Amino acid sequence: MITAERKPIAEIKEMLAPYRKILVVGCGSCVAECASGGEKEVGLLSSALRMDAKASGKEIEVKEMTLDRQCVYEFIDQLTDVIHRYDIVLSLACGAGVQAVAEVFPKVLIVPALNTTFLGETKEAGLWVENCRGCGDCKLGVFAAVCPVTRCAKGLFNGPCGGSRTERCEVDPDVPCAWQLIVSRLEDMGRLDLLRKVHPPADWSKQQGKGPRKIRREDQRT
Amino acid sequence: MDQKSAGLSITIFFCQQIDPNQDVNRRALERELGKQIRFFPLPCSGRIDPLHLMRALESGADKVYVVTCPEGACRYREGNVRAKKRIAYTQGLIEEIGLERERLELIVTSAGNPVTIDELARELLAREASIGPSPVKGKYA
Amino acid sequence: MITESRLKKILHRGDFAVTAECGPPKGADPEVVRNKGKLLKGYVDSANVTDNQTGVVRLCSLAACALLKAEGLDPVLQMVTRDRNRIALQSDVLGASALGIRNILCLSGDHQSFGNQPQAKGVFDIDSVQLIQAVRQMRDAGEIIGGEKLTAPPQLFIGAVANPFADPFKYRAARLATKVEAGAEFIQTQCIFNLKRFKEWMDLVRDYGMDNKVFILGGITPLKSARMAEYMAKQVAGMDVPEEIISRMKAAPAKEQRQEGIKIAVETIQALQEMKGVHGVHIMAIEWEDVVSQIVQEAKLFPRPQV
Repeated sequence: MITAERKPIAEIKEMLAPYRKILVVGCGSCVAECASGGEKEVGLLSSALRMDAKASGKEIEVKEMTLDRQCVYEFIDQLTDVIHRYDIVLSLACGAGVQAVAEVFPKVLIVPALNTTFLGETKEAGLWVENCRGCGDCKLGVFAAVCPVTRCAKGLFNGPCGGSRTERCEVDPDVPCAWQLIVSRLEDMGRLDLLRKVHPPADWSKQQGKGPRKIRREDQRT
Repeated sequence: MDQKSAGLSITIFFCQQIDPNQDVNRRALERELGKQIRFFPLPCSGRIDPLHLMRALESGADKVYVVTCPEGACRYREGNVRAKKRIAYTQGLIEEIGLERERLELIVTSAGNPVTIDELARELLAREASIGPSPVKGKYA
Repeated sequence: MITESRLKKILHRGDFAVTAECGPPKGADPEVVRNKGKLLKGYVDSANVTDNQTGVVRLCSLAACALLKAEGLDPVLQMVTRDRNRIALQSDVLGASALGIRNILCLSGDHQSFGNQPQAKGVFDIDSVQLIQAVRQMRDAGEIIGGEKLTAPPQLFIGAVANPFADPFKYRAARLATKVEAGAEFIQTQCIFNLKRFKEWMDLVRDYGMDNKVFILGGITPLKSARMAEYMAKQVAGMDVPEEIISRMKAAPAKEQRQEGIKIAVETIQALQEMKGVHGVHIMAIEWEDVVSQIVQEAKLFPRPQV
């Protein structure tokens, strides 16, 4: 999923400062999974904003809503009747959701409550780790399902580097050396042969694109 | 001055396992103090969610207690551990809006010293009022 | 003026080679580089210039190599893949060759978070192995990555690094084989304090048949103090400093620790000279280049042969 973290409330307050009527919109997908922007988090943040306003003697109106997915227009449409009653929308979606809402309602002011961080997995309850960088050219089949682009600090395709020690990355002792993992997994599978050849340089144009990337599927379009 | 005399609004979330007769035992105080005290029995303190604590503060509580069983004695194993973490999380959240962390307090009961909810609540009310009325109730001109 | 790599000549002749590291300054003064060159000249076959080592901004390796070349040394251009993409790297390879630099050492480089610009974007467009392959392809096929032809190929003796002390130990020889297959012709290893472990690695290397395919130069770093020994043991990733070495340094009185460090370095060099498959030594005297001449002399490797 896409992970995100709530911005400090001071920063959120600053964005909302000139406004009285605030629509707080959460998303029930990725950000709900990582406990930063789901219905519950909408409740927590709204409660905090209301209490803060009361304590400052400020009058605000905060409406709480959560869409199943904030990046899909069919769900965003649910805001149509409501959105124009508010001065500003505080979105608890990832950057994709915030922008999608702005595309549907370009005249409405919308600000993000979250900092979108990475694509990752829920390793344990309350622990999310990055595991994909969307390079557009997946090589997980060759690297025993350990992504060197994401999990090797130097993105080596012919690793490990000389700084790998006791299975840890030289950059952070809490980070396992991805190459140690690749080598030991391939060894267990009897496929160390996959590492014999020199892996050629990546085609980074697949990740960079020429500006924002897109996927177009004619069979899916009306 | 103690919290009761200071007229502070107290909310107490508590684990039902502490006092099997809590339903009856809290009535006297409820009658005596009316809106000044609110009791929320929980099947386990682990049921507490930061949202409950926020709503309690938002509805005017000056002080919110969460009462748990002693560590290691939770009937559902780690409910009280979760409660502790959630209180800490919520304390961080309210601190960001300028509310004192002390408005939320964890109370861990003692295995060797069982109390009724009435005894516990009175003890808490008798404590020194270290914080004043919540600013959330509205600023004084 | 096209010259040949002195390092290549020495190694191909079967002589025990001596190379040393020259650390460029954190400033733009060329005299610093020239002076270091003067300290090394005659005592080494070639001098490496590091490339923004540990992610610290220094006078670039390419310029420093050009300065050393003008002083009459045979420089080894160290090139990391951390800071430049393939366009810049290949371009610098052409530039190095045009300036008469004849040796290149390809490495990934220390992660940028260690240096004085931790907010910099780590490029890592290609890795060290892919760089080795690219340089070889430029030199032998006259082509850049992707196959487009060069008007004139670069002339470079290609090197890589190896760390016999990092994990996974067993895999290190296989990785060396990959580098050699990609085009590495000489190897400079991480500095050796644990001779026993180094011997084990050399055994693995020989088992892989690598000792006939690549020239291996063992790395040496003279210790300045017991504190340095402890620091390297604990704080530097991929380093193996045995307890006996640390104790030996601690046992020496403070004023004599440098001499003890030099002694250990010389003993290690002598052990390397006896080891089958080791073709030379690479002395990394960090900010202590003036000790290289003493070490080379005490190891009885001075004067250097005429080529």
